[in-house]
Amino acid sequence: MISVRGLVKDFRHWGRRLRALDGVDLEVRRGEVFGLLGANGAGKTTLIKVLLGLARPTEGEARVRGRDPRAASARIRVGYLPEGHRFPGYLTGEGTLRLFGRLAGLPERTLERRAAELLDLVGLADRARDRVGRYSKGMTQRLGLACALLDEPDVLFLDEPTDGVDPVGRRQIRDLLLATRATGTTIFINSHLLSEVERTCDRVAILHHGRVIRQGTVEGLTRPTQRFRLRLATDAPLPAEQLQAVGAAVSSSNGAFEVEVADLETLNRLVDTLRAERLLIAEISPLRAALEDVFVEVVGEEEAR
Amino acid sequence: MKTWALIVDTWREALARYTLLGFALVSSLFLLILTFALNLDIVDGSLAAGTLFGKALEFHHGAQAIDTVVVTGQSIFAGMLYVLGVFLAVFATGSQVPNLQTRGTVDLYLTRPITRTHLLLGRFLGAITLVTVNLLFLCGGVFVIISLKTGVWNPRFLVAMGLILVVFLSFLGFMYLVGVLSSSTPLSIMLPYALYMFSFPLAAHDHIAAAMDSRFWANVVHGLYWVLPKTAEVGRDLTGYVLGKATPTLLPLATTAAFGALCLAAAVVIFNRKSF
Repeated sequence: MISVRGLVKDFRHWGRRLRALDGVDLEVRRGEVFGLLGANGAGKTTLIKVLLGLARPTEGEARVRGRDPRAASARIRVGYLPEGHRFPGYLTGEGTLRLFGRLAGLPERTLERRAAELLDLVGLADRARDRVGRYSKGMTQRLGLACALLDEPDVLFLDEPTDGVDPVGRRQIRDLLLATRATGTTIFINSHLLSEVERTCDRVAILHHGRVIRQGTVEGLTRPTQRFRLRLATDAPLPAEQLQAVGAAVSSSNGAFEVEVADLETLNRLVDTLRAERLLIAEISPLRAALEDVFVEVVGEEEAR
Repeated sequence: MKTWALIVDTWREALARYTLLGFALVSSLFLLILTFALNLDIVDGSLAAGTLFGKALEFHHGAQAIDTVVVTGQSIFAGMLYVLGVFLAVFATGSQVPNLQTRGTVDLYLTRPITRTHLLLGRFLGAITLVTVNLLFLCGGVFVIISLKTGVWNPRFLVAMGLILVVFLSFLGFMYLVGVLSSSTPLSIMLPYALYMFSFPLAAHDHIAAAMDSRFWANVVHGLYWVLPKTAEVGRDLTGYVLGKATPTLLPLATTAAFGALCLAAAVVIFNRKSF
């Protein structure tokens, strides 16, 4: 659905060359939710802009549905929510959808139906006739999403979709994205909110100084650790000394315990010790490294080189 | 449909920024004054007396033939409008391209399935309709009111409006080029004004070049004259034409239009190649 091969993008600033993308290779499959992670200035927005034909690559090629994104026809049924977008403040919410729907070539009747549906979907139906200039940040973001979904896109690009949105709005956006994915839309998300990406995406790539330094499924990247979550059925304290003696390091957080063991043999010894003390175990579950931990680790390794 | 959406968008923007309202108010006020405050007393085809806001107008040379008075008045008005109208039109449309290129806004427009050329020319067309309608309202109004009051119908006055429009379009093309290159509203307004001022004295390019010491600079002056809009010549032709004393010469008008067309073409090419 989206393919990028050896993509290089240089910007010139007062005669100085700045390399924003440095040989990026990516493949996003149909119906996938793909997350692009990276610190500020890593090149995430530049990559999206190349994929939408907003910026011309210096070298390499980008294809969306097999077409050059600079061709206007390649942008049919492609939705985009830019970071920090600014709708013309003189338009109403409804007027905004009408303008961009017409520019997308939607027939009037379809546009009328879609605008009403989407305004309702993003919770702006009662503010549809208010000027966008009077919308809050969260409302503008939801309107942006409605605008991106106008022509029922095959591919949806979202640049920091939950930026400036409160937790409730964030959940609404997440639910909306999951519903959109269910229709078979390919979704490409740029975000530095890693927990959001972890919950929404199937695969991710980490971009650092314009290069992809790691990519894979969320499951694959957030590999299991040697740490386990342990919860007892009662409030009884853990026999810390005995557990240390079997080689398990214990810490507690939010009413549960985290134990770190060297191997499964040690974990089983830990269970034996707890049972010998007649403690009832309610849960033992492996902990995976959070995407955030993986990101920090991978970027740290790269910086250290 | 897409072109129509862009034209409507241009009008909405003008409405929201009160430029349209301001223009309509000033024009309406002028037309109302002309309708109700100016009274002309015509006897045997001559202007015998007149009042403005009830105050008698004085005629130092006795009764004037009404058609002379009308065409002279229209010629003066066309001359004023030639300067003022172009200035106001540039002011009203100067923010168009910079606003379009604002970060966060341009992405929304350019990621729709519409070519950049279509987008820019659609906005250009919007500006043309905006200025044409305003010009027609004001000048058409003046033409109808004066003609009805005096019985003198001088269609040359309406043709002159076409000349004003051509000159404005030339400056609009230049303004689009500046806007695409700089994304700055102040520059998009100031540079066309500066060009307007600068191009006026170039009508005397022969005299200026003759005063130059170096042949190189004399050629530069001649070159600038041929490249830049011929605002002085078109203005002179325009007032002369309304008076019925001259027919507009093609060359100044054609080179002025060519300048605008070249600027617009350059703006389109640069806009197409630009990374946002």
